[in-house]
Amino acid sequence: MDSPNGMEKQLVTAAIWIVQLVAVLALPPLVNGIIRKSKARLQNRVGPPLSQSYSDLFKLFRKEALVSATTSWIFRAAPYVVFTTTLLVATLMPMFSPYPPLGWMSDFILLVYLLGLGRFFLALSALDAGSSFGGLGSSREMTIASLVEPAMILSIFATAASAGSLNLNAIASSVSPSISSLLNPSQILAFAGLFIVTLAETGRIPVDNPATHLELTMIHEAMILEYSGRHLALIEWASQIKLLIFFSLLGNLFIPTGIAASVSLVDFVTGIAIYLVKIGGLAVVVALVESTNAKLRLFRVPDLLMVAFTLSLLSLVLRFLIR
Amino acid sequence: MTARDKFSVIIRRAWADRLTLRSGPAPNELYASLHPDFLGSLPDICEMIVRSFHARFVTLIPVDERADRNSFRVYYVFSIAREDLFLILEAPVNPRHMELPSITAHIEAASYFEREMNDWFGITAFPNIHRLASHPDWPDEVHPMLKDFDLRTAVPRVRGTFDFRPVEGEGVFEIPVGPVHAGIIEPGHFRFSVAGEPIINLDMQLHYTHKGTEKLAEGRRPAHVVFLAERISGDSAFAHAVAYCACIERIACMEIPQRAIVIRTILLEMERLSNHIGDVGAILLDVGYAVGAATAFHLKEQLLRLNEILTGHRLLHGMARLGGVTRPIEDTVAKRDTIRSTLSDVRRTFDALIEWVLSTSSVLDRLETTGILTQKDALQLGAVGVAARASGVDRDLRRDHPHLAYPFLEHRAVVQKGGDVFARFKVRVDEVAMSIEIILQLLGQHSGEALAAPPAVLPASTCALGYVEGWRGEIVHWVMTDAAGNIGRWKITDPSFHNWRALSLAVRGNIVPDFPVINKSFNLSYSGNDR
Repeated sequence: MDSPNGMEKQLVTAAIWIVQLVAVLALPPLVNGIIRKSKARLQNRVGPPLSQSYSDLFKLFRKEALVSATTSWIFRAAPYVVFTTTLLVATLMPMFSPYPPLGWMSDFILLVYLLGLGRFFLALSALDAGSSFGGLGSSREMTIASLVEPAMILSIFATAASAGSLNLNAIASSVSPSISSLLNPSQILAFAGLFIVTLAETGRIPVDNPATHLELTMIHEAMILEYSGRHLALIEWASQIKLLIFFSLLGNLFIPTGIAASVSLVDFVTGIAIYLVKIGGLAVVVALVESTNAKLRLFRVPDLLMVAFTLSLLSLVLRFLIR
Repeated sequence: MTARDKFSVIIRRAWADRLTLRSGPAPNELYASLHPDFLGSLPDICEMIVRSFHARFVTLIPVDERADRNSFRVYYVFSIAREDLFLILEAPVNPRHMELPSITAHIEAASYFEREMNDWFGITAFPNIHRLASHPDWPDEVHPMLKDFDLRTAVPRVRGTFDFRPVEGEGVFEIPVGPVHAGIIEPGHFRFSVAGEPIINLDMQLHYTHKGTEKLAEGRRPAHVVFLAERISGDSAFAHAVAYCACIERIACMEIPQRAIVIRTILLEMERLSNHIGDVGAILLDVGYAVGAATAFHLKEQLLRLNEILTGHRLLHGMARLGGVTRPIEDTVAKRDTIRSTLSDVRRTFDALIEWVLSTSSVLDRLETTGILTQKDALQLGAVGVAARASGVDRDLRRDHPHLAYPFLEHRAVVQKGGDVFARFKVRVDEVAMSIEIILQLLGQHSGEALAAPPAVLPASTCALGYVEGWRGEIVHWVMTDAAGNIGRWKITDPSFHNWRALSLAVRGNIVPDFPVINKSFNLSYSGNDR
């Protein structure tokens, strides 16, 4: 890896930072669109155009944001907190470059708790409006979150153990892009664990149903029922970014091919292309999972998350045994 | 000796002093009028009828007969299935007291009927006095079903609150839901009392879609009311219309042409098919299995389009008329072939869908053991139709009181034991197969040319029941003509009216996010319940 120096390096970093910022803002609605389109095709429907999620966000931003008179500042602040923390995490992630901007900050524990901060505010804001659905949503979200977090941390630990670092960029660049590392049983188990975590964290079937209109069954959607206009747009956008974050984790920590090895333009463009293919592929896989499974009964969700936890734990143990 | 004669003898022997017997124009109805002096023994007589005749409470019909007889009368309809007989007990109510003893202590299924009678007629079945149909803001002394209540009356609203059953204790919360819901379902208010996720109690306030249908019909010509009957419950338009027509036809002793009977039966089964398949889809959608749901909805659409091709209306409006049907549906080879090919398409795809669903464990896990309605509760609350048959209650008017073409078909009721969402799902799946079988069987029959009996003049002050087994359950209508031979009183009993209480029992102990799928597995009509 040839490392440029001084001024040149800073310029490159700034350029990468801008590209990554644009990507994490622009890409998530497309990923959401791919999932919606794939699900529709699996149901023999034409489905909305891929641009639908952009139009939805655009529409929401132009609409009036109604705020209940019984709410406090938390209700108004929460969308911004959620959006900012999620966006920050996304810009710190390893995506397609070897020199992620602020790479030294992409400490895994920090990222998990930045996401946690957003979730905390969202749950508070749902309680703030005093509607019964918000309370239901918050209580369910927190129950699930408390089970998801250990599984998520363990699965990343499994990969961190071989890299010897909790820095996601270090982990991503330590995994060699070879068949043997792809087929490493520890990697596969950790991937499976993190995949389940992804479904739970981003409110997909079988944990939550993003397409339902039934208030009583909702988890994430129940929390944001009271939001409208730009507030709702920010929250929707943030959840789409969150999905991209998890897809990036899955794609880059376990299938590390494609992270540009140098700062040359060719490598960089190839890196972006491979990244897009990985994200698109994961979106289709999620659509397949959502189409072939029913939503779990709420009280079975802990069982599923236990499976994720166990897989991650096994992966961690294997990591030391196989070494 | 007919069943009617046999029971006349038995009843005369037991209660000669209290009951006066008469028969209606319909051969399977026996009316027994209770002497006013023995009003106090009404609950005991009802209990005896249920117990010793193996009878089942079907409906309760209050009638304002002050003009003719200077009294109100309440008709308690019982079905004696093995003899194909309806025993109808008449109790007089003194207009000065407006009270009679409640039979709910013996027959739980009558409870909602008595409460509705209290609201709409002001006749109190003491001590069953809680409101049901009138909302809290409705004044106490206004009873809209009385003959002297003018429909144009502007009723003042009063202050009042919905008195649901309070549940108290640490960590018990109330979740109010509705009356306006997400999606395009009808209005109804639900009040859940929950401890965490499990539901301790569910109370509901319905009757938001009350349209005064029964009242609107009064004084109208019988032929005009078919239009109203089609609008009682949108998903059972044809079944309600046929049940209403049957009342008039039985009052006039009309001879329905065989061909009309066959067409009516085919269309009833078409209605059952599209609704059952739609419900299968809706249940799958509610557990988040969108691919299965999309397949089922596609099939439902095919069936509705077939309806349109055959009858000109997707929901079969305009097909029923007094004495028969308005137009043929099987008159050309092309039409018969369309029916056959559509049905075989539907059957093939539906079978594949079900096979696929039954091998998807994540779906089964959601359906099994969810929302169990025990056989005991189903019997006690008088549940009917799909909900009853899924709880092991073998109850199907098509066999118990054979009507239309069903006596000529080998009909067995589809019964499941489980009582859970899966059992109700299975009952629908099996009935879909049976409906297709019935339609194909009837399609091959040659049955004359006439589509309807000639119109008849109705006798004055005569009454009869009319009934069909709709897709949701038994639909029982009752009509009494006035002095001019027009509609004097029309009572509509939709299966939903029996089953809403069953739903509120079935959800107890389940978790809140399972309520929608339990609700969908009953799929009750608000409009039919509220009328």
